[in-house]
Amino acid sequence: MSVNTESLQLKKRPNALLSNLQLRWKLFTRKYANLTGAKHIVVRIAMYLLIIGLAFVFLYPFLYMIATSLMSNSDLNSSSVHWLPTEIKFENYAIALQLMDISRFVKNSLFVTVAASFGHIMACSFIGYGFARYNFPLKNILFGCVLLAFIVPTQTIIIPLYMTYSNLKWLDTYLPLIVPTFFGFGLRGALYVFLFRQFYLTVPKSLEEAARIDGCGFMMTYWRIVFPLAKATLVVALVLSVVWHWNDFYESSLYISTPSMGFLPPRLTTIITAANALPEQQAEMLRQLGLEDGEDTLNNAVVMAGALIISAPILVFFAFAQRQFMQGIERTGITGE
Amino acid sequence: MKEKKKKKKIFKMDLHKRNSLKGLVFVTPFIIGIALFFIYPIYMSLRLSISEQVAIVGMKMQGFTFEHFVRAFVVDTEFVPTFVAVVRQTLTKFPLTIVLSLIIAVLLNRDIKCRGLFRVIFFIPFLLGSGEVMQQLLNQGVDRAVLNIMDGKLIPYNVLSYFGDTIMNAVQTVFGLLVTVLWGSGVQILLFLSGLQSISPALYEAAKIDGATEWEIFWKVTVPMISPMLLLNIVYTVVNSFTDISNPLLAYIQKYGFADAEFSYGSALGWIYFAFIGVLVAIIFAIMQKYMHTSEVEEVKKRERKHRVFTIEKAPKRTFE
Repeated sequence: MSVNTESLQLKKRPNALLSNLQLRWKLFTRKYANLTGAKHIVVRIAMYLLIIGLAFVFLYPFLYMIATSLMSNSDLNSSSVHWLPTEIKFENYAIALQLMDISRFVKNSLFVTVAASFGHIMACSFIGYGFARYNFPLKNILFGCVLLAFIVPTQTIIIPLYMTYSNLKWLDTYLPLIVPTFFGFGLRGALYVFLFRQFYLTVPKSLEEAARIDGCGFMMTYWRIVFPLAKATLVVALVLSVVWHWNDFYESSLYISTPSMGFLPPRLTTIITAANALPEQQAEMLRQLGLEDGEDTLNNAVVMAGALIISAPILVFFAFAQRQFMQGIERTGITGE
Repeated sequence: MKEKKKKKKIFKMDLHKRNSLKGLVFVTPFIIGIALFFIYPIYMSLRLSISEQVAIVGMKMQGFTFEHFVRAFVVDTEFVPTFVAVVRQTLTKFPLTIVLSLIIAVLLNRDIKCRGLFRVIFFIPFLLGSGEVMQQLLNQGVDRAVLNIMDGKLIPYNVLSYFGDTIMNAVQTVFGLLVTVLWGSGVQILLFLSGLQSISPALYEAAKIDGATEWEIFWKVTVPMISPMLLLNIVYTVVNSFTDISNPLLAYIQKYGFADAEFSYGSALGWIYFAFIGVLVAIIFAIMQKYMHTSEVEEVKKRERKHRVFTIEKAPKRTFE
């Protein structure tokens, strides 16, 4: 029976461009695709092997960082120690913390990241809703501007941007990093506008119509009805924005010249320079930090410990946001349906 | 209540005008943003690139000249080779990124055990940093270390050497890039995953009932359905790889812009670069537009537009008051 329908289907096909060989191959594969049992298991095993192999590649840097950050100096230089350190040295973290002077900078980083991400989700959601729901003059041109802002690299317009901020007397403050985000600009702001627009396109209009019939103004409709619906997308945009702002050191290092106002990621360079310094200089540095015992040398382990400390808040944040984020991006449906 | 009615009468407009006003209210922040942070820098940068720089202080400029553009291509011996290198690197990287992230997204979309855990794992390199941390890891050769573990087991080089040097080199280049490509594909994987999630299971069921194999389903259902996402992903990947911090060309442009204070030349280089990306993205759009699957909703909208005669717009005005 099944063979009959098969051949019928093939006969019916008007553009029978398949050669005889291809046809045979197709029938052959179909025959074996239906043999579920054994083939199914083989495919599953292959799939798991593939995904575990890939996961290993993705997890590698993280494992490497953890393993290296706990090594002592002799472990690092030893050719026989690859993964497990002979003795676990948590002192590396203490040294990294002291070298980075973390308490001063974590506050700055946290403040700017929180403020800028808040601006992004608020403004981009607002703007995205406008693009998704209403028709207005110059809409296409304005949306073209969104795409343009996404395409133009900041680096190519950084000089006049710098001048703008210097005219506004915003240099050496956090304003250039925070204020643009409230207008849908800033670090990859256009991407979020686009993301929110695509999400709001999928929200059924009937909800808003119902709200309007009940006497809800258009602003209230947005704030009370539509905005809470976008919770999942908000988490997506929030995570992306937080991660990018936390890791950013290009713009932040340009606009802010006062050392005490700096951020965390560039602090890693201080450790790197310390680790690459001459032994005498390292000894001097350690003396200044009050660590005089000769065992605590500055090395790659300290660099890795510093890197882990810098990315730790992001990892913790993602661990908390992860559940909603994963659901969120799945429901976003950016396909524009 | 009375006040409200009065107000309504003052602003009495038809529905379309009122709606467009509402839309403008929503977009106002963006318009202000364009005026403040976008138009001026774009305009200034363009003007700088086509005029002569007179003084560094205050960025005084005059005249109209294409000198900087000529200089970039004719005089400057470093710009063109760097440019070509960057373009070549991007063009080899982005198909790999797209294909690999699609494969991973499809795998993650299947019903495997510990799906949530795997999704977190595939996002870790993105969390660790688009920034300094990752750069530091790359400097230490961690990506090569990963390759060394796989070396020889995954691809037998002895067999490959029979095919000649070109193929051998090509395979080696691809595998050399593989790790950095994989680490840089976190966002793409998520975008694809969201696209895959939005495909209706009904389509798969229908395809299965019609006797399609997995392979056919992938090409005839999955790929067309995520083609809008594919476009977004390709554009994102291209733009991202060109605007990446580690991009040598951007460092070069910046060297002129800031360190050497040759603003005009720096922005001219920037504009050449930007124009190139713009053209590339336009080409991608043009190619993809042909193959892009338009969703059913859009089809319906198009049909509606054709038959506007019957819509409310043209209906005689009625007063309910």
